[in-house]
Order: sequence, then C-alpha cells, then structure tokens
Amino acid sequence: MSQLAVLFTSVALVVIGLYAAIFVDNIIKKIIGISFIEEGANLFIVGIGYKSGGIVPILAPNMDVSWFTANASYPLPYGLVLTSIVIGASTLAVMLALVMVLYRRYGTLSTKVMLADTSKQEEYDE
Amino acid sequence: MLEIILMIIIVVSAILALIQKDLLNAAILTGFSGGALAVLFQILLAPDVALTQAIVGAAIVPVFIALTVKKTQRSDD
Amino acid sequence: MNELIPLMVIVPMIAALLLSAFSKFDKVIKVLAFVVAFCLPIIPLVSNYGLHYFGGYQPVLEPITNMTYHPAITYSFNFMQQIFIAIIGLLTFLVIFIYLTKYKKVSGPYLFLVFMGTAAVTALILTDDIFNMFVFFEILALAQVGIVAASSIDYSYEMALKYMILGSIGSPIMLLGIGFLLALTGSVNITDIVLAIRSGIVNFKSPVFLISLGLIFFGWLYASGLPPFHTIKSGIYSKAEPHGAALLQSFTVISMISIVLILFRVYSVLPIFEVLIVLFSVLAMILGVSLALTQTDFRRMIGFLAVGELGFIGLGIGLGTQFSITAGLFQALNEIVITALLFIGFGAIVNATNEVDTRKLGGLLAYHPKVSIMLLIGGLAMAGVPPLSGFQSKLMLVQASLSCGYPELSILAIMVSIATFVVFVKTFYSMFLRPKPHDLDVVTKDVPRAMIFAMAVLLIIVIAFGLFPDVVTNGISQYVGGMIH
Repeated sequence: MSQLAVLFTSVALVVIGLYAAIFVDNIIKKIIGISFIEEGANLFIVGIGYKSGGIVPILAPNMDVSWFTANASYPLPYGLVLTSIVIGASTLAVMLALVMVLYRRYGTLSTKVMLADTSKQEEYDE
Repeated sequence: MLEIILMIIIVVSAILALIQKDLLNAAILTGFSGGALAVLFQILLAPDVALTQAIVGAAIVPVFIALTVKKTQRSDD
Repeated sequence: MNELIPLMVIVPMIAALLLSAFSKFDKVIKVLAFVVAFCLPIIPLVSNYGLHYFGGYQPVLEPITNMTYHPAITYSFNFMQQIFIAIIGLLTFLVIFIYLTKYKKVSGPYLFLVFMGTAAVTALILTDDIFNMFVFFEILALAQVGIVAASSIDYSYEMALKYMILGSIGSPIMLLGIGFLLALTGSVNITDIVLAIRSGIVNFKSPVFLISLGLIFFGWLYASGLPPFHTIKSGIYSKAEPHGAALLQSFTVISMISIVLILFRVYSVLPIFEVLIVLFSVLAMILGVSLALTQTDFRRMIGFLAVGELGFIGLGIGLGTQFSITAGLFQALNEIVITALLFIGFGAIVNATNEVDTRKLGGLLAYHPKVSIMLLIGGLAMAGVPPLSGFQSKLMLVQASLSCGYPELSILAIMVSIATFVVFVKTFYSMFLRPKPHDLDVVTKDVPRAMIFAMAVLLIIVIAFGLFPDVVTNGISQYVGGMIH
C-alpha cells in the first residue's frame, strides 16, 4: 500500500518536473522543475529498498543476525540515493550560476530570449 | 496515514511552486517539498538519506534559488 | 602491478584538486599539470590486466543459490581498456601541452575541468558497476559544461546552459532506469546482473526490464549525442576552444562506447535492443553527414561529421557479432584520434585568420602548408581512404554487416563514407585551394609549434593504425569474445 503510494508520488514528481522543464518559460522555474525530477527519481529508488513493516538497516550489537536479515530493509539503494542527492544539488548550483551570468547579459529570465540567440546565430550561419 | 499526508504536501507544494508569480515564494515552496520528502525518507526506513535530504532539499536548494532570485529578478514575467 | 588500476582515475582527480587549490601559483601548476599529463598515458601501459575491488572486498560465494556476487565497486582492466585509456591520456597530454604553451597565464580551474573530465571517462570505461557509471557520467557532464563555458567564444554560456538543462533532464531519467534494473535484480554490479539474467532468476520478458532499457537508452543517447541530441552536441563542439573540442569529442566517444558495452552485456538478450541501436546509428549517420553538407562554419561541420562517425560505431555494436563489435570499437579508437586531429588543425586556422566561415576563406595553402597537408590526410582518414586507419575500420564494418546478412547497411555505410569525403573535400577546397578572397587578411604569424607537434603525433597514430591494424584489433577481438560468451 505505502509502496504503491511512494511509486505514485515519485511518478507525479517526475511528471510535474518534466512538464516544468519543457514547457515553462522562466528559467528558474525550469531549474526548479529539474530538481523535482531528481527528487522523484530519488524517492523511487528509496522506495525499492523499503520493506513494509521492516526495520532500519542498522545492525545493533544485541540483535540476532538471521532475524535482522529477515526484517531489515535493503540498504544498497539508500547508499545510491545519498550520492544522487549531492550530485543533484551540485548540478543545480552550476545551472543557477550560469543563469546569474546570463541574466547580466540579457536582463531577463525568459528562456525564449536568453537561449534563443544561439539558435538565431545558427540560422544566420546557415 | 502520515505518509499519505506527506505525499500530498510534496505534490501540492511542487505544483504551487511552479504557478507562483513571485519567485521567492517558489523557492520557499521548493523547500517545503524537499523537507516533506526528508520526513518521508525517515518513514521509509532511511534515516541517513533523510538527514542528507533535510539539509540539501530543505535548506541548500531553496537558499541557492533564493540567492539567484536576489541577484536577478523577483517576478516571473 | 594491479595497484595501478585505481590510480588511473585517482591521479588525474588529485591533480585536478591540487591544480584548483594552488591556482594562484602560476609556475607550480604549470609544472604539475605537465608532469601529471605526461604520466597519464604511461600508467595504463605499465599496468597489468586484472580486476580491482575497492575496499578489498573479494567476491562472495552465496551458499544458497551457489552464485558469486560482488560486494565491492569493481574495476576491470583489460586490453580494450588499456588502449582506450592510453589514447585518452595521450590526447589529454597533447591538449594540456597546447594549452600551456598558448597562454602565458594559465587558469587552474580550466585545468581542473580537463583533468576531471579525463578521470571521469577513465572511470567510465573501467567500471563494472552501473551506479558508479552514473556518478561519473554526471561528473563528465559537469566537466564538459565547464570546458564549454570557459571558452572565450561568443554564446558559449548559452550553449553550456542548454547542454546542462538537457543533461539534467537526461540523467535523472537514466537514474530511474538504473533504479528499475536494481529493483529487478537487487544488484548494481554488472557481472551480477548479467548472471542473474542469464541464469533465469530474472524474467527478462517482464515489462520492467524493457522500461529500464528505454530509460537508460535515453541517457545513452544524450551522452553520445546521437539523434535527437546531435544538434546540441555539435553545438558544444563549436563553442569550445579547438583543443577543448578535441578533448570533448573524445569524451563523447568514450562515454558512448563504455555505456553501450554495459547496455550490450545486460540487454542483448532482448531482440529489440540491437534493432534500437542500429536504428539510431543509421539516423545519426544520415543526419550527421547531411547536416554537415549544409554548414558553412567549419567547426560545426566537423562537429556534425563527428556525430555521423558515431553512427558507424553504433552500427558495429548493434550488429552484435564478435567481428562487428571489434570493428565498432576499432572505429571508435580511430575516430578519437582523427577527429582530434581535425579539431586541432582547424583550430590552428581559426588562430591564424579569426574567421570560421568557409565562404570567406581561401588560398590558405600558401600560408600554412604543413597544417593543410596534415588536415588533408586526417580528412581522408575520416572518409576512409586506404591505407589510413579509418579505411581499415570502415572496411571491417562493411564486411561485418555483409556477413550478418545486411547488405543494405553496408551500402549505406559506403554511401555515408563517400558523402563524408565530398563534404571534407568541398571544405578543404574552399579553405585552402581556391584563390584568396581580397577582403581576407591572413595574420602572418606562425601556427603555434605545440599544435603542429600534436597534429604530427596524432597523424603518426593514424598512419600506424592504418598500416598495422592487427596490433589493436586482435586484442580487442579477444576482449569482445570474452565479453559475448
């Protein structure tokens, strides 16, 4: 039940993010949308490791090992998500830095204005 | 039950963040979504991920976005 | 000396961090960058083949299912990895050499990006762990964006941001695909995944497996710049400095082959997989060459030709036999060298004339005879003229597609080669042979010696591979044979 809900939420986040990244004109909102896609992917991977009614995968000293392996959730996806969260934050920071530089040149946050000039230049080249 | 509420918070604040006219509000709502996600990770038995997500999703990402908004412009037009 | 395997990634990474930290001391970073870049091609050549388990966690035999599984991140180093890492190291050395001699004041962050990119592609080709691949895929994307943004060409920031936005849509999608695969097999080690699929523990007919293929395939298309990403890929080549572009295209080729080999090992049980790869490769070949025909900016032209050449690699791997995959990998090796040669050579022309429009150029043969001869040989090698290296690999590809029973594909490959030849000769004629336009003032300063040196080294490799292809193909063929069975 709760795994199904996790799946639904992650799909919703990815879809919302994709919509924003493709159709929204404002560049900062595009980037927010991209961060939602990343969060959706992370949530999905955490959902893989989750075991309904299980325990946190930390082996305490007084635990029986076979009981622990039967009940603990799968820790590998959690390790992956840790890395992925940090990667997401760093790409976000680089994109925002590029936006700040480009804002100084164009004075607007509209993607149509900011990123269209390269394609205009390409048309001119052709 | 709690996880259902959290999921609703995540999705609704994500949608609200994208329809705000004021980009600073959008940044704060992104933080809401990230913070709720951190609590959800805790419920999904991943405390280490929850800690990281709480710092990154609820603090660092919205602060970065807010800084960019401060350096550029606040309204979305 | 198996201990050298992780060092191939660690050395450039530490060098990158040190260069960035000490970027105030000009002399120190110049010496450091040169020494490390010089070591890069040597480390793989002196290292032994084998596996490296990070943290020393050896493979464990599971008693119940009687299967081994790998708890550690595993790097596998073999002849194929050796030759590619050596070539990428050599190219990095040449690029660093050109950069250090070109500018009086060098920038630490730029060198950081170059070394980080090299470390990332080295790790990509070494790794046997699908999540490790994803991490370095992201680092590589960031390094590429940085190299583009650091160039002084107009609109480079816009191109970098565009590439980055596409990349940050592509990489979570790839992560989702890895997530599906992990959900299905419970492991991120590729050997384990392959074993689980082959032994029938995982049902490869399930839709989840197909979805994961689709998602990772999308990420691969982005990384390798096949359609629909061919425009942005050739765009970033044209917005980077010429030596940067030479390095960027080699990053693209390496990430393409390393990801597609992983995909091949995991998904070759699905019949649709090979169809998909051949389809996109053929699209890339046709689109690359036909778009190259219409370009007047010669940097963009080379960019599109490079995309077209990527199609040949994909064709070889998509056919799926031992001979065709060997041909594809050999083509990849040749393309790295040849395209780097062309980018550096045309960069020398930009240096001398400050003009990138072929319509406004002409008569440069008299001014730069050395550069033009070397460029001509490089272009002929790319088009597949004997006895150069491009000919050998394309001949192998044509033979492979004939022996697989697809004469259409071999005819197409020959036609694309001829079109490449036409595009190149047309550009070469308008730049070097026809009379010089009156309004073109050629700066009579010499082409930097470092560029000539780099081109000469690459040219020697092109001719050597052309005359003695067996040196490389035998080893690659053995590796591929081991991979398929």
